[in-house]
Amino acid sequence: MNNDYFQLGRVTVSPRAIATIAYHAARQSYGVVGLTSKNLMEGITQVIVKDPTHGIEVKYDSENITIDIYVIIEYGTRIKSVASSVSNTVKYQVEKALGMPVDQVNVHVRGLRVSDMD
Amino acid sequence: MDPDVIDIKEKQLYPMQRYPIDGQVFKSLVEAGLTWLRTNQQIVNSLNVFPVPDGDTGTNMVLTMQAAFDEIANFPEHNLGKLMHHLAHGALMGARGNSGVILSQLWRGFAHALDNFEALDGRLLVNALHQGRNTAYRGVVRPVEGTILTVAKDIAAEAELSLEETQDPYDILQRIVTAADISVSNTPELLAVLKDAGVVDAGGKGLYFILEGMLRYVKGQPLDVNLTAIQTLSAMKLENVFDRIEPGQDYEVVVDFRPINGLNIPQFYEELQHIGTSIQIGEGDGIFRMHIHVASDNLYAPIEYTKTIGVVTKAAIENLRAQMEQADYDSGKSLQFTSVEPGQIATVAVAPGLGIARVFASLGVSAIVEGGQTMNPSTQEIMDAFENLPTDQIFILPNNKNIILAAQAVAQLTVKHVTVIPTHSVPQGMAAMMRLIPTGNPEAVATDMKSVIDDVETGEITTATRSVEIDGVDVIQGQIISLLNGKLVLASDNLNTATLGLLEKAHADNYELITLFYGIDVSRMEVDAIADVIRKEYPKQEIEVQEGGQPHYQFIISIE
Repeated sequence: MNNDYFQLGRVTVSPRAIATIAYHAARQSYGVVGLTSKNLMEGITQVIVKDPTHGIEVKYDSENITIDIYVIIEYGTRIKSVASSVSNTVKYQVEKALGMPVDQVNVHVRGLRVSDMD
Repeated sequence: MDPDVIDIKEKQLYPMQRYPIDGQVFKSLVEAGLTWLRTNQQIVNSLNVFPVPDGDTGTNMVLTMQAAFDEIANFPEHNLGKLMHHLAHGALMGARGNSGVILSQLWRGFAHALDNFEALDGRLLVNALHQGRNTAYRGVVRPVEGTILTVAKDIAAEAELSLEETQDPYDILQRIVTAADISVSNTPELLAVLKDAGVVDAGGKGLYFILEGMLRYVKGQPLDVNLTAIQTLSAMKLENVFDRIEPGQDYEVVVDFRPINGLNIPQFYEELQHIGTSIQIGEGDGIFRMHIHVASDNLYAPIEYTKTIGVVTKAAIENLRAQMEQADYDSGKSLQFTSVEPGQIATVAVAPGLGIARVFASLGVSAIVEGGQTMNPSTQEIMDAFENLPTDQIFILPNNKNIILAAQAVAQLTVKHVTVIPTHSVPQGMAAMMRLIPTGNPEAVATDMKSVIDDVETGEITTATRSVEIDGVDVIQGQIISLLNGKLVLASDNLNTATLGLLEKAHADNYELITLFYGIDVSRMEVDAIADVIRKEYPKQEIEVQEGGQPHYQFIISIE
């Protein structure tokens, strides 16, 4: 995908590479304690995954890039705010690295992690 | 404690109760922190680095603190622990943006450490700061240093250190404010994006203002005066690129509700997907919060739907499109000042409104002090405006008769060489600015600037605040009055007559250019209508209309 024509040939960026950028952006977002696979059933969604392509789904059709992120958020944070900053950060970082507009970033909050306060 | 020490401290204070620091005393401190943060909100906003449409950091932090304070504002509880519980809850529910969320976590940890305690002492404060730090750090897998988190960490560390010397919470506060300041200025060293943009971390700066506000309150210093309203923003590389919202995302709807028979989340999501986008669901204390973006024709659907599955406790609707327009509008507001080299002349202008400030900025002033009729800036404010400029030749344009004295007093207080160009009005100030040569001989330039002051006629249109007879003109309270060069020339019943009458009295047909600076009390439509009439009446003159943004005066008119 993402064909930039240079004089010498073509540069393509794989969805997996995009996922990796999104993964690191999401992990640096405040309130996100991990990413989780979208395929696991309810109940075991709390398993935090390390492989970027599991917590992140990148879809594209010719021009549009859509990124879906499945996250676990720290309990006690305002989910709305955390989620919106995840989508903003991911959009910003991916666009910065890629130079292509990201059409959509959907954040799916799959669970909350409750930390011991003491 | 030594009685002398108490005596000295008491003198510095507002009549506030200092000890014990119970819930009510702490509430005042929180309010002070909020007030000071709000005063400095724009400074924090101007530090934004990322061009993301997440709103501005300063605004987000103010809203978060406001929500936290609202929760305790009318809460008479003296028990500190109980009060803090409510405060933290308020912060959580009101958290906006990234820094707001982190702030709410700091308060959450802080409050947790104070659970069941009646009042604050030094050791408790240190513990609470420590807990705040820990809770905040738990919220992120890979903490980015050089942010508000780092500042929170440095504060906690400094508090711990200070325990060796003092047990007094106010002394500790003093020390952590200093530590926060240092920590904030160090953030660019830790985070490259800050360094590249030439700014410090906005969230960290916000946290610093909250703490500094508390300290200022303890010391009895004012909280509503912006000490650094005059920023040399030109030194910053600010980007204000906002993204467009997509079709179908006209409104943000947030609904708090209590489900009747538990919530089937997958089904809930499924239903919501038919209604809108950007769906988020939160849970806390048995209450769910649903967030969704919807198209304007679907505005009430989320609320209607939620009503079928539970009891709606609160619903909020925000117009995203309008917010975006506001953001676009605000982004044009930052001023670009002219930078000066050592030895050159730097000009400070007093401006009663943002639009006028912008015109002065474009004419080459190096700093602006906000002020004018009924809001004269203090000597201190004028001085603060230029103390940091890298030159010692300062020209001040007071642009108001009543400010000339304050401006002249500044000359006594500073080591810099201050020349006051005695401009009585904004048009005079602008006329003088036209003659400024920053590299010229200050005395010659000053003489030149003074010589042109009287070449311009100043008209002002305002509403009479009382009935009076001056200069042979009878005025009834509420009438529109016209002043020419400070003298009352006309009282009339509408803006149109007042403006045209004034131009006639000023013999505007003998001049070339008429510039109207319209104030915040008149609409652009009214202004355009009047400008059209003027254009018809004065076809040979050039008519310019500028947003002045000044209060009280519908128009400030320059005739030259």
